[in-house]
Amino acid sequence: MTQSANLDEANMILVFRLEGEAFGVSVGIVHEILDPLDPTPVPNADPFAPGVINVRGVVVPVVNIRRRLGMSAEQSCDTARMIVLEHTIDGSPTKLAFLADAVEQVVEADVTTLEKVPDLGASWPQTFLKGALRREEEMVILLETETLFVPCLPASAA
Amino acid sequence: MSKTVLTIDDSKAVRDMVMFTLEPEGYAVIAAENGQDGLDKLRANRPNLVITDLNMPIMNGLDFISNARADPAGTGIPIVMLTTESAPDMKAKGKEAGATGWINKPFDADKLVAVTRKLLG
Amino acid sequence: MFEQAVAAFVQEAQEILSELEDLILGLEHEQDQATIDAIFRGLHTIKGSGSMFGYTCLARFTHHFENAYELVRSGDLQPGKDLIDLSLAAQDKMSEFLELGGDGPRAESLLVSPETCALIDKLTALTGAQTTAPASTETAKTGAAATEKRTVEIVFSPLSDALCNGMRPDLLVKELLELGSGSVRIDTSAVPSLDEMDPTQSYLTWHITLLTEQDRAGIEDVFIFADDADLKITEHVADEPKDTEDNAPNATASKAKSAPGGAKTEHRQENIRVASSRLDDMMDSIGELVIAQARLDAVSESVTDPNLDAMVEEVGRLVLGLRDATLSIRMLPIETVFGKFRRVVRDLSAELGKDVQLVTSGGETEVDKNVIDRIGDPLVHMIRNSIDHGIEASEVREAEGKPAQGTLRLSARQEGGEIHIAIEDNGAGLNHDAIRKKAIERGLIDEDTELTERELNQMIFEPGFSTAAEISSVSGRGVGMDAVRTTIDGLGGNIEVQSKQKLGTRVTLRLPVTMAIIDGLRVRLGKSVYVIPLSAVEECVEMDMTEKARTSGRSVLQIREHMVPYLELDPLFAQEPSQEHQRRVVVVRVDGQRVGLVVDDILGQGQTVIKSLSPYHRDLPGLGGATILGDGRVALIIDVATLVRWAETQHGANIPKVA
Repeated sequence: MTQSANLDEANMILVFRLEGEAFGVSVGIVHEILDPLDPTPVPNADPFAPGVINVRGVVVPVVNIRRRLGMSAEQSCDTARMIVLEHTIDGSPTKLAFLADAVEQVVEADVTTLEKVPDLGASWPQTFLKGALRREEEMVILLETETLFVPCLPASAA
Repeated sequence: MSKTVLTIDDSKAVRDMVMFTLEPEGYAVIAAENGQDGLDKLRANRPNLVITDLNMPIMNGLDFISNARADPAGTGIPIVMLTTESAPDMKAKGKEAGATGWINKPFDADKLVAVTRKLLG
Repeated sequence: MFEQAVAAFVQEAQEILSELEDLILGLEHEQDQATIDAIFRGLHTIKGSGSMFGYTCLARFTHHFENAYELVRSGDLQPGKDLIDLSLAAQDKMSEFLELGGDGPRAESLLVSPETCALIDKLTALTGAQTTAPASTETAKTGAAATEKRTVEIVFSPLSDALCNGMRPDLLVKELLELGSGSVRIDTSAVPSLDEMDPTQSYLTWHITLLTEQDRAGIEDVFIFADDADLKITEHVADEPKDTEDNAPNATASKAKSAPGGAKTEHRQENIRVASSRLDDMMDSIGELVIAQARLDAVSESVTDPNLDAMVEEVGRLVLGLRDATLSIRMLPIETVFGKFRRVVRDLSAELGKDVQLVTSGGETEVDKNVIDRIGDPLVHMIRNSIDHGIEASEVREAEGKPAQGTLRLSARQEGGEIHIAIEDNGAGLNHDAIRKKAIERGLIDEDTELTERELNQMIFEPGFSTAAEISSVSGRGVGMDAVRTTIDGLGGNIEVQSKQKLGTRVTLRLPVTMAIIDGLRVRLGKSVYVIPLSAVEECVEMDMTEKARTSGRSVLQIREHMVPYLELDPLFAQEPSQEHQRRVVVVRVDGQRVGLVVDDILGQGQTVIKSLSPYHRDLPGLGGATILGDGRVALIIDVATLVRWAETQHGANIPKVA
C-alpha cells in the first residue's frame, strides 16, 4: 500500500519542516505557498480543520496536520509558511492549507526507492506516511495525502 | 406483390431509417453497405428503386450509379442519390452518371416517402 | 461532427418532449388545431431525425405515436381521454428511449419489452390500419399554398436517355393530374419507324392542360427531378394571361420546398443557448468583482480624495448594474416547474381515484435557475402529500357539502428578495390529534408536551415523522417531508404551514430569488464577524440587560408587547461568553417563529457573495456558507433555520415555546 506511489507525478518533492523533522509532499498537488494568514475560526468544526482563510477569493479550510501526526500545537515563528494544495475529496478537487514551520526546497527524488519509515522514536501514525526518502544526511518523510486529509464527520453535530 | 427498394448507405442509421420508413408504407426494403454490395444486391434482387448514398467506402455512389446503368438490372429503374446542400456539384455529377433524382440530407421520413411514391407510383 | 449532430438531436428531442407534455395536457382542455399541429410536428421531427442520429428505436416507437396524431390532425381521431392517457405514457416512453443514449441492446430490448409492445398495440388500435395514406396529406399540404383556380398549359418531352435513368413520364403526368383536373394529349410525331427506333429512348411530347389551384412552384415541383426533359409551363390566371416562359426546373423549386425548415430555424434564432455552467462562471467572476468593490470602498474611505470617491461611486453603480443583468440572465419563470405538476396532479388523482384540479398562478414569477433546479422535487412531494392525505374522496367531500372536485392551488409571487410559493388545498386539513399521537409514538415529543397549532403543523417536517410503513405507494419515494425541509433550508428558504380542519392546508415556501448573492447583515461576535441573511431578519433591538436579568432562568425577551425567545450565540459557537454590555439582538423568523439572536454588535449590511464551504465544514449546524469581507477576511454566513433547530437540541439552550 505504501509503495503504490504514482511514479509519474511524485518525482518532485516539496520539503518542509515540522518539529525539526523533514517532511515532503508531491509538488504536483501544491498550489502555492503563502505567508501565514490568520484563519477565521469555524465554530463546532472538527479540531483537524478549525478554520478557513481567503486564498485569492476562495474560502480554503486550514487543516491541522500536526494534530493527526500526534505533534504538539504549533508555535508561531518567522519561517512559518502556509502550504496550499489541491486534494480530491469525494471526487471533487478541494483546496486546503496547512501550516509548516518552514518550507525548505523542492528536490528531485526517485520515489521507487522509498523506504519504510524508520522508528525515530516519533510516534507518527503509519497510515499517514507514504515512506521515507534518503536525502544527504537525513530522511525526508513523504506524507500519504490520501489518508492524511480525509475529513472527519463533525463530531459536534451529533 | 410489394415493390422492392434497395438502400445503399454505409451508415446503419440511414439504412435503418429508410427501412423503417418505407416498410410500413408497404415496400420491401433490402440494404447494402456500399456500392459494391449494392451492385451485388441489385443483380440478385432486381429492386424497383434504389436509394444510394454518394460518399461510401469500397465503391462510392457515383460509381455505383454508372455501373448500375450499364447493367440490365439497373436500366430504367429509378435511382435516388442522397446529396448534401454543401456539395451542389455532386447533384450534377450524379445526374450525369444516370441518377433519376435526389434527396438532400438530412431528410425526414416524409420526404423519403414522397420521393419514393413519386418515382414508383 | 456526427457527435455534435447527435448531441443537437438529443437536446432538441428533450426540448420537444418537455413541450410535448404541456401540449398534450393542453389538449385535455382545449382541442385547438395549433396544439395538435405542434404535437404532430414534434413527433414528426423526433421520428424523422431520430434514426438519422442513432435513435432508431426511439424513432420506430415514435412512428406509431405520430400515426395517431396524423389522424387527430386530419380530424379522423378525437383526442379523448384515452388518447391523452396513452400519449402521456408514450411521451414517457420516448424519454426512456432518449435516456438510453441511442440504439443498442438496451434500446432494442426496450422496444420489444411487453410494456412498449402494449403501448404500440394500443396506439395501432386507435389508428386502425397501419398505413395512413400519407401521400394524400402530402398533396394536401402542398396544396395549402394555393391561389385561385386557373388553367395551366404544360408541354413536356423527356430527353434521350431520361427513360434509361428511371424517369417515368406516366407517373409525372399522373402526379400532375392529381393537382387538379385536366386533359392530356400526346404528340407522337417524333416517333421514328420501327426499325430506326431505340426502345430505351423517348420520342413523345406530352401536352397537358390543367385546371388547378396550384401555383407555378407547385407544378415545377412535380418535375423536380425531370431536368433531363424539355418543359414549358404557361399559366392563364383569370383574364390575365401570363407570359410563356421556358422553364427548366432548377434549384429554386427545391429551395421553395425547404422553406418550412428554414422558417423553423429562424424562429429558434431569437435565443442563444448557453451552458448554465458558463453563467455560473460569470456569476463567480461577478462575485469576485463585488468583493473587490467592497475592498475598494474600504480603501477609499481611508483616503480622502474627491476624485477617487467619484470614481468609486461610478464603479459601484456599474458593478451593481452588471450584477443585476447577470442575475436576470439566470432567471427563469417558475412556470417551467409548474408545468410539470399538471402531469403529477393528473396522474396522482387518477391513481388514487380522486378528482383534483390544479390551479396555478404567478407562473411568470422569475427565479434563479439554481433555485428552480432544486425546488422541483420538494414541490412534487408536497403536491403528492396534498392529494394523498389532504384532499378527500369525492363522496366524502360531497357529504361535507364541499364541491366533489378538490382544488390544489399552486401560486408564486415575488416579495422583495424573496419568492413565496404556496401549495394550497381545500381538503381535510391536518389532523392535529393524529399528528400529536404520532409524534408521541415516534418519540419526537413527550406525552405531556404542550404544542401550539403551529408547532404541531411543523411536526410534519420532523425527521422520522412519516415512516416507510405508512407511506402509500404514491407519497413514498424514499423522501419524507423532512427531506423537503432540508432542501428548502439548503436554499436559504423556509417553510410555513397553515391548516384548518375540513377547510384545507396551505404550505408556503419562502425562498431567496437567487442563491449566488444575498443581502446580508454583518454582525460581530467577539472578534469574529458573521453574516445573517437579511431575508430572515425581522428587526434589530438593543439587548436590555436589566430585562435579561428580570427573566432570569428563561431566555425570553420582551419586545414591545411580545415575548421573544432568544439564543446566546457565544456558547453555541463555542466562544468565550461575551462580557460586553451594549449587546444587540437580531430578531429572525424561523419556521414561523420569532427568535432573537444575541450578538455583540451590528456592523452593517450589504451584498454578500456566498461561497460554499468545503467538505470539512459543509455539514456544520448553523452555517450556510462563507463570504469574503471588504478587508479580505472570511466571514461565515449563519443559516438561521438549522442554527435555531440545532440549538433546540442542545442543553442549556432550550427555546421556550412562545405562541
